[in-house]
Amino acid sequence: MEKAPKNGFLDPIFLQVIRGAFETIANEMAHVLHRMSFSSIIRESEDLGAGLFDSQFNTLCESESTPMHIGSIPAYLRGIQDTLEDGEWYDGDIVVHNHPYHGSSHSPDLAIVMPIFHEGRLIGFAANTAHHVDIGAATPGLIIDVPDVFAEGMLFAGNKLYRKGQPNKALWNFIRNNSRAAQHLVADIEAQIASVRLGKTRFLELVEKYSEKTVLAASAQLMDYAERMMRQKIAAIPDGEYAAKGYLDDDGRNRGQQLPVVVNVRVTGDSLEVDLTGSAPQTPTAYNVPFEGSTKVAVYAAFRKLLLDSACQDVPVPSNEGSFRPITVTAPLGSIYNPVFPASAEARFTQCNRLIDLILRALAPVMPEQVIAGSSASISFAAYSGLKDDGNYWVFLEVNEGAYGGRPKSDGPDSIDNLMANTRNNPIEDLAMHLPMRCERYELRDDVFPGAGEFRGGIGVVKSQRMLSDGFITHESERHTDAPWGLFAGHDGAVGRCTITSSQDKKIRHMSSKFSGEIVKSDDMMTYFSPNGGGYGSPLKRSPAKVLDDVLDGFCSVDVAHDVYGVVLDLEREVVDESATRARRQFMMSCT
Amino acid sequence: MARIGVDVGGTNTDLVLECHQGVFYHKLPTTLEDQSIGVIEGILTLCEQAGIRVEEVDTLLHGTTTATNITIEHNGAECGMLTTDGFRDILHIGRHKRPHNFSLHFDVPWQSRPLVRRRNRIPIMERISPPTGEIETPLDEAAVRQACALFRKRGIRAVVIGFLFSFLNDAHEVRAREIVLEEMPGIFVSISSEISNTMREYERFSTAAMNSYVGPPTSFYLRRLQKGLEAANIKARLRIMQSNGGVASVEACCERPVNILMSGPAGGVMGGLWEGAAADISNIITVDIGGTSADIAAIVNGEVKVKNPRDTEVGGYPVMAPMIDLVTIGAGGGSIARVDEFGAFHVGPNSAGSMPGPACYGRGGVEPTVTDAHIVLGRLDPDKALNGRLALRRDLAEKAILEKIAQPLGISAQEAALGIIRVIDNNMALAIRSTTVARGLDPREFAVMPFGGAGPLHGVALAEAVGAPEVIVPVAPGITAAVGLLRTGVQYEHVEPVLVMLPAQSADAVERLDGAAKRLKSNLLSDLSSLGEENATYDITFFAECRYAGQGFELRVPLENDLISSNSAGNLLKDFHAIHHQDYGYSYPDAPVEVVSLRATGKIPPQQEEARELPLPDEQGIARAFLYSKQTVFDNGQSLETPRYDRTRLCRGEQVRGPALLIQQDATTLVPPEYAAEMLSRGGTRLKRCAI
Repeated sequence: MEKAPKNGFLDPIFLQVIRGAFETIANEMAHVLHRMSFSSIIRESEDLGAGLFDSQFNTLCESESTPMHIGSIPAYLRGIQDTLEDGEWYDGDIVVHNHPYHGSSHSPDLAIVMPIFHEGRLIGFAANTAHHVDIGAATPGLIIDVPDVFAEGMLFAGNKLYRKGQPNKALWNFIRNNSRAAQHLVADIEAQIASVRLGKTRFLELVEKYSEKTVLAASAQLMDYAERMMRQKIAAIPDGEYAAKGYLDDDGRNRGQQLPVVVNVRVTGDSLEVDLTGSAPQTPTAYNVPFEGSTKVAVYAAFRKLLLDSACQDVPVPSNEGSFRPITVTAPLGSIYNPVFPASAEARFTQCNRLIDLILRALAPVMPEQVIAGSSASISFAAYSGLKDDGNYWVFLEVNEGAYGGRPKSDGPDSIDNLMANTRNNPIEDLAMHLPMRCERYELRDDVFPGAGEFRGGIGVVKSQRMLSDGFITHESERHTDAPWGLFAGHDGAVGRCTITSSQDKKIRHMSSKFSGEIVKSDDMMTYFSPNGGGYGSPLKRSPAKVLDDVLDGFCSVDVAHDVYGVVLDLEREVVDESATRARRQFMMSCT
Repeated sequence: MARIGVDVGGTNTDLVLECHQGVFYHKLPTTLEDQSIGVIEGILTLCEQAGIRVEEVDTLLHGTTTATNITIEHNGAECGMLTTDGFRDILHIGRHKRPHNFSLHFDVPWQSRPLVRRRNRIPIMERISPPTGEIETPLDEAAVRQACALFRKRGIRAVVIGFLFSFLNDAHEVRAREIVLEEMPGIFVSISSEISNTMREYERFSTAAMNSYVGPPTSFYLRRLQKGLEAANIKARLRIMQSNGGVASVEACCERPVNILMSGPAGGVMGGLWEGAAADISNIITVDIGGTSADIAAIVNGEVKVKNPRDTEVGGYPVMAPMIDLVTIGAGGGSIARVDEFGAFHVGPNSAGSMPGPACYGRGGVEPTVTDAHIVLGRLDPDKALNGRLALRRDLAEKAILEKIAQPLGISAQEAALGIIRVIDNNMALAIRSTTVARGLDPREFAVMPFGGAGPLHGVALAEAVGAPEVIVPVAPGITAAVGLLRTGVQYEHVEPVLVMLPAQSADAVERLDGAAKRLKSNLLSDLSSLGEENATYDITFFAECRYAGQGFELRVPLENDLISSNSAGNLLKDFHAIHHQDYGYSYPDAPVEVVSLRATGKIPPQQEEARELPLPDEQGIARAFLYSKQTVFDNGQSLETPRYDRTRLCRGEQVRGPALLIQQDATTLVPPEYAAEMLSRGGTRLKRCAI
């Protein structure tokens, strides 16, 4: 055993040693789950999180998989505590939990939790969360237009899959009979179990090597450290109240009725509050955000990105909730960001992303070098499904990417997962070999241009998926009506859109950003265009060479180069006409 | 008959010559502007040393960072690409995952520095239809010719052809290449179905694009080297180290330079493999510690492990070329230690490099590094390190550690130096765990083999941290990669996509597997026979890449031979369950298994050369090698009067008890108290805990 901490305080050298061990364990847990799993949403998209927690639900370590999962597990653990079967933990238990009113991020993200006992005492937990394809909700894969939380499918609250090491066969049987993709669901739960078992083994090895007291002291210190980092960064923001407002398209049922999102950031010294008062009331559909497991997680993530940007600072931030301590989140009960039971709260991703986008906008006046222009700040989450020849369902969940807003020193990245999302797409070829679907187009969007600016917005994606059997599509997306904004004289980006082309009459249906259980026929094709990001800074400041590059690469037209950027090109020779450009830009500046 | 191994790294070019007169080493600075200058100069010097004529060198084995450097410096060829209409931006979108979770200002390398710019990615009407591979839309040949006209106008130097589903049917890619070569005779062309014949469009296209990107400059270098050798009257046949731990002909590497992106580190692992064999040890963890990074690999049962193709990337671009499974971490002699603004302590990944280098170099570096810590602890003697070429400054090392670490943390310089070593050792130990424990291997069954000049200072600490029972220090730790080249045989590899479910439902499924295996074999035989090596024996091994139906990642399962019967398909199924269980600690015995591809490697074993034996000891014993004694601080903080020995003067079977330092030209081996160093018959040194 290693030396015990002096006065309970570990020196920074030893702390670094334990920190490395923590991070390795979390990544190993995530790796097993990711590699073993069957459904594409876990295995390709890596929509999962994994880690170790102490008996008070503090994070010891957590994998860096998908931001939406990071920091969400402690809320699950608190929810389990309130609902636990038998009322207590036994060695060898494994619990499944997903109840949105007991701390879950949303119901498809099942948590698998294993208690860890050492010398007869509960000392912590190994846990992970993963998004499952189908838990038997009202429509296959995803839901939006549903009446309440009971339409979300199976709700687990502190249920034991294993009790004292023995499988609870009734529960396993129940699960097998209540999903359209039962085989994958069960196999993926088994992968989650393999991952928490590994976590338990590693945790005990760590405790054997360094003692429980030392391990827990290390995690407490690492949390204080992360908190210190965040506080120093918040203290650098001028005190004050900063506000921004945006609109969500609709609730997925009541068309044309936009929903306001209001963000007030109050900075006081080294702490801050994000107040969402003024945002829309809770919706009658599934378009609500669980407060503990999603709203708060999104706000914390916003400040990690903004203040502890991992690409800008060379000091890595430990993955624990220490950095959340200086941040308070307020959302009135009964609002879209804090719904009241039994409202459904499954379709919550796009609201989280808009929240982050608006926090950046609110702080733009005082942090011009750190914020970025408006991003797509949505997601496209599509559930395609149909019946196989054997009468069983096939269900496929697809996450489509967005685009970033222009940035103080660089263009917004194109066609890439945005803000809270960070998943991987499914190889088109793998898909076509295994499902009755075929991708017809997957490219950068070229029907509209990204927001112009000294640094342009990112370009969204266009993806066309053709169904090769009759079936259903449910689609959760946003920003068909409220384009990503430009910043500091940058131009606005472009809204997203979605169409379904009918195989029979070739008619094109223009779809709302969210629709549920749309019936489609074989050969029908859905095409999704994600929003383009807004520009940062005046287009007249963009380097003419970059404008030429954009035109040659098809990111900008000759007309836009001339009219918006004031750049005149000789396309035959593929060069900038320098003198004509100077004259054009002088003229444009004199007009403003 | 003489053979030369030459390993060109970022700083040094290392050479080793083996002939009947003996073994000769030489090291010279890498000629960065053109590696071949240093290579040829080194060969001439070595031959002179050995007293042989250059014509006597019959084989030259070469590890090169040329291709790697192109990817780092982003100065590859301007490429044009032909791709399926509707899918122009596969290379731009990638897998749509960001390199950072929590960042707004991140860079996306495949977008900011694309292998092929969008203007040169030309969509072509054509369509191969899944899952059968039949042609649905014929290739628009006129459009291909039009694209070539544009490429000519733009001065494009290499072309990539990547069509969807070409792994099912390569007819369009092959035809498009014919047209390109008609339109642009002599241009460098890569087609995706040939470079990486597997499912998954982004990875396949990216691999082909990388091949074209590094192709022209890499083959330019290799050809120039060949000419330079001829001009110098060096008639040796030239073999190039590939990332997979085998060498190939210059022609093969010019065609597929994507196979030599990890040429450099592969030599080290092969060196470790051979040194292990010389010490009769078949389970080895090699730790190659350089100035800025450490490469860590596991050798299991005398074989190097190959990376899962899903994990192979270079500089953020996926490259599905066979590569030795090694982990590189930012831990080396130049790794900088610091206390961050929030109070945490870090070592690496930032490095002082060789300019300015560690503080003790006296070249203006003020940041404390791992090398500085060794100096302060008395583990490196300032006048002996770096072969005495550079007098190191202990005062500067101490000052840097005192000011940047000790004072901010309120500890002594010695404690701070020990802390630096402890954290860097821990980082390496975690990386060792990730290549062993996390993959179902138990480090207690392995020996740690540290090399690189600084490696043997860390060997024992690493072995202790991971529970490995012993450390084997190779004969010449500073030049292990070059030695490894001498022990490396030819290796080629081919892959055939075949999607087949197991248990095999039909005779057809078994036949398809069998057919693929036969094609692999015949391709390999034609590769190997084209090398013109007389009396060579060919060693061909087959693997199936399998997954449970529905999974996204395959595992590699060995096959006995190319004769696939329903019986061997059954064994394959059984083996897959077992391998899955070993890798993940779990298997699904009832789930159907899908074969995704068959892969085969063809090898010509390296020339077997018996390692030279150390002389037997005389009556003088180890006193013969004694240099002097000095204070040295060990990991537990104890400072002991520690004797130094000249490692090259120790004889077979001799034992040196710790505490001791074994010093040789470019490496120092640390033998802590309670450890003993034993000189093995073939020159390696075993460090083991000993009874007191």
